Amino acid sequence: MDNVSPATLTAPPVVLRRRLRVRGTSITLLDPVRMRAAADLGFDVDFELLEFPICQSRAAMDPEGYDVYEQCFHNLDIVWFWGALQPIDISRIRDWGNISALAKEGGVSKYAWRGHGDAPVKKLYVQPGGFLGPKPTRQISMLPTVHNMDSFGFDARVFGTGPDVRPSWSWLLDRRAKGRIALVDEPAIGLFDAALAAEASGELEFADIGNMTIEEINALMALLEDRRAQGYFCGAWRDGEAAANLIRNGSVAVQSMWSPVYGKLGAGFGHFVESAPIEGYRAWHGGASLSRHLRGAGLDMAYEYLNWWLSGFAGAVMARQGYYISNPEPIKAHLTPEEWAYWYDGAAARHDLAGPDGDTVVKAGARRAGGPYHERSRRIAIWNTVMDEYNYATRAWDRFIGRVREGVAA
Amino acid sequence: MIRSANPLAQEPRYELITRVLRSNIRSGTIPEGFVLLEGPIAAVMQTSRVPVQSALRQLLDENLIHRFDGRGYLVGSGAQPVVPLRRDIRDLPLDIPAEVDEALQTRGTWRHVYDQVEEEVASCQIFGEFRIVETELADYLGVSRTVVRDVLARLQERGLIRKSASSHWIAGPLTARTVSEKFQLRSIVEPAALRLAAPHIRYADVETVLDRIGKDPAISSEYLGDALLELCIAQAPNTTLVEMIRSNGLLLSAVDRALIGLGLPRDETTIEQYHTLFDLIARHPIDSAAEYLRDHLSIVARRYLARMKIVAVISETGSFSPYLSPV
Repeated sequence: MDNVSPATLTAPPVVLRRRLRVRGTSITLLDPVRMRAAADLGFDVDFELLEFPICQSRAAMDPEGYDVYEQCFHNLDIVWFWGALQPIDISRIRDWGNISALAKEGGVSKYAWRGHGDAPVKKLYVQPGGFLGPKPTRQISMLPTVHNMDSFGFDARVFGTGPDVRPSWSWLLDRRAKGRIALVDEPAIGLFDAALAAEASGELEFADIGNMTIEEINALMALLEDRRAQGYFCGAWRDGEAAANLIRNGSVAVQSMWSPVYGKLGAGFGHFVESAPIEGYRAWHGGASLSRHLRGAGLDMAYEYLNWWLSGFAGAVMARQGYYISNPEPIKAHLTPEEWAYWYDGAAARHDLAGPDGDTVVKAGARRAGGPYHERSRRIAIWNTVMDEYNYATRAWDRFIGRVREGVAA
Repeated sequence: MIRSANPLAQEPRYELITRVLRSNIRSGTIPEGFVLLEGPIAAVMQTSRVPVQSALRQLLDENLIHRFDGRGYLVGSGAQPVVPLRRDIRDLPLDIPAEVDEALQTRGTWRHVYDQVEEEVASCQIFGEFRIVETELADYLGVSRTVVRDVLARLQERGLIRKSASSHWIAGPLTARTVSEKFQLRSIVEPAALRLAAPHIRYADVETVLDRIGKDPAISSEYLGDALLELCIAQAPNTTLVEMIRSNGLLLSAVDRALIGLGLPRDETTIEQYHTLFDLIARHPIDSAAEYLRDHLSIVARRYLARMKIVAVISETGSFSPYLSPV
C-alpha cells in the first residue's frame, strides 16, 4: 500500500448517524417536529406517514419496520394484541407525573362525564396476562400525547349561524344537506359520527353506542344504506387534504372534520364552520408506542424521543393545528400568549395566527368553537373505539363506503 | 350415520341407472339419435361401467335404444334412420331424482373430503356471511351432489352452517357474540364435565403432559388445550355431554387455526395457566381444578375476543374457495 494518497489518509472517519424510525399518521408526523427533534436529540428521525387503516395494519404485521409508532389509543386493540409493541416503563418518562387526568384517569375531573366507548385510560396500563386496563401499573402501552374533541363542520349558509343555531350530529343525516354529506372513512371514527347522527336524529337508539350489538350495527348500516340510495352522500375521505378539497369545490354542506382542515381551507371559506354539537364531541387520544424489537441503544433513543415529545416544542406545533397535549405546561414556553389564549383558553384571536408550517390558519377576531379546553374536554360524548364487534362492523362499513364511492364515481 | 333411510338404496345399481336413463329419454331430455356411451354415463352416475352396461342392455330390450355402426347405442327404436348426435351426456340437464342419486353413492365417500371443507367453512366465517353453492362444491371436490349433501348435513349437525329462509346453505358470520356465547357454554359445561371425569382420568397421562410442559419449550397452548379435552374432560362418562363440548369447541379451534394461518401471532401466554391446571387435576381435589378451569376459560375468552378484533385488518380478497359466495 505504498501509493495511498494523502487525501485518503486524512479523510474523516465515516460515522453513520444514528437514526430513529417513526411510523404514524398525519396527526403528528409533521416536518417541523421531525427537524426540531433531530436537532435537539442529535440523531436523525425518519417519518413514515400513512393513512389510518394502512398505518394500523402495517404497525401490527411489520413491527420490524419501525422503532416508534405514533397513533391513537383506540387502535391498540389491534396493534398491542398482535404483539407488535413492548410496554413503556413509566419510570423512564420524566414528565409522567404531569400527564393529564383525562389520559390517566379517564376524565378531566372526578365529576366530568367519561364518554361512551374506550377512554384512553382503558387501554393505558399493562395488566397481568398482557391485557390493557385502567388499573395503574408501572408499565403502559402508549405514552399519551396529542388529543382532541372532534365534531363535524357545516356550511352556515345552509344551516344558519348565530346563538339560536344549535349544531347537532343529526345534521350529518339532514335533508337540508342531501347530496352534500361526507364522512371520514375509518370504521373506528366515521362509524361513530354516523351513529351519533342516527341517535341524534331519533332514527336509532343504541343501548351502548360505544359497544354496539350485531343488530344495532345492522340497523345503522341499513339506515346509512337507505340514505346512500337516496343520494345523501357525496363522498368519504381518509386524509385532511381530501376533506379540504370537498369543501373547496363546494361538494359538501356538512361532513366529519379534523381540526387542521379548517386552517387549510384558505381565504373565502368562512361559511364553513366548526360545530360544537349539543350532544357533545367524539374524542380521540393519540400517543407514541415502542416496537417490540427495540433493545439497548435503540430503546434508549426511543425513550429520548418520547421524553422530547413532552418537552414543549412538539406540543406547541400540535396546538397550532388545533390539537391538545397531555402535559400542557411546557408548551407555554413555545407558544405566544395570543396563541395560548386562542387555542387553549378559547379567547378571540388578537391577530392572525399561523399554523404548523407558517401559513395563517386563524383570522384575527376568530374564536374557537366550543370554547376553552376545560369546557370542551368535559363534553365528550364518545371516544373513538374499537368495539367488540369491530371485525364485523369494519367489513360492513367498508362495503358501505365502497358503494358510496361507486355512486360518486358513477 | 348421516344418511336417512332410503328404500332405493337396496335396489341394484343397474336398476337405478336404467330408471334415470329411461325417464330422461321419455321426457326428451336425452333426444332421439343421441349417442349413449358407457364411460360418460358411468361418470355421471359415479359408478363403474359394469352396471351401466347392464342398464343399456335393459333399455335395448325395452326398445328405447338401438345398436348402430359406431361405438355405443343410439337413442330411439331405430325404425327411422337418424343422424347420430355426438355430445357429452354431462352437458345435458339430466333429471336425477335426489333419492336415486343418493342411492347410487357408496357410503363414506364424504369422509374423504369432509375435513378440508370443515376447515374452509369454519375459517371463512371470520370474514362475514357466505352462501355455500352445492354445485360449486361438487365441482371443487370432484364428487357427486350426494356426497356434497352428506358433507353439508355433517356441517349442519356440527353447527357450522344453517339453512336460510330461501333454503340456501349459509355459513357465518362469526361475531364476538357467537364467540362469547360459546365460551359461556364452555365455562358452564366443561368444569362440570371435569368433575364427572375425575374418577376416570388416567393420571399417569396427565403427569406426562406436566412433565412435557417443564421440558419442551416449543409446547403450544393449542396442544395443551387438546390434551385437556382428550385426557381429562372427554373422560367424563357421558357421551352426550362430551359430544356437546366437542361440537361447541369446533368452530373456536378451527377459527383459531385459520387465524394463525392468516399470520396472527399464536396465543402462547396461557401455557402457564395450563401448567397450573394440569397440576391441580393431577394432584389436588378436582373441585379446585374445576374452579380454576372456569377462571382460565374467562381469560381465554377475553384473549380470543381481542384476537377477533385484530382480524379486521386482514383483507378477504382471494382467500376463499370458489364454492363460498359472499352474501
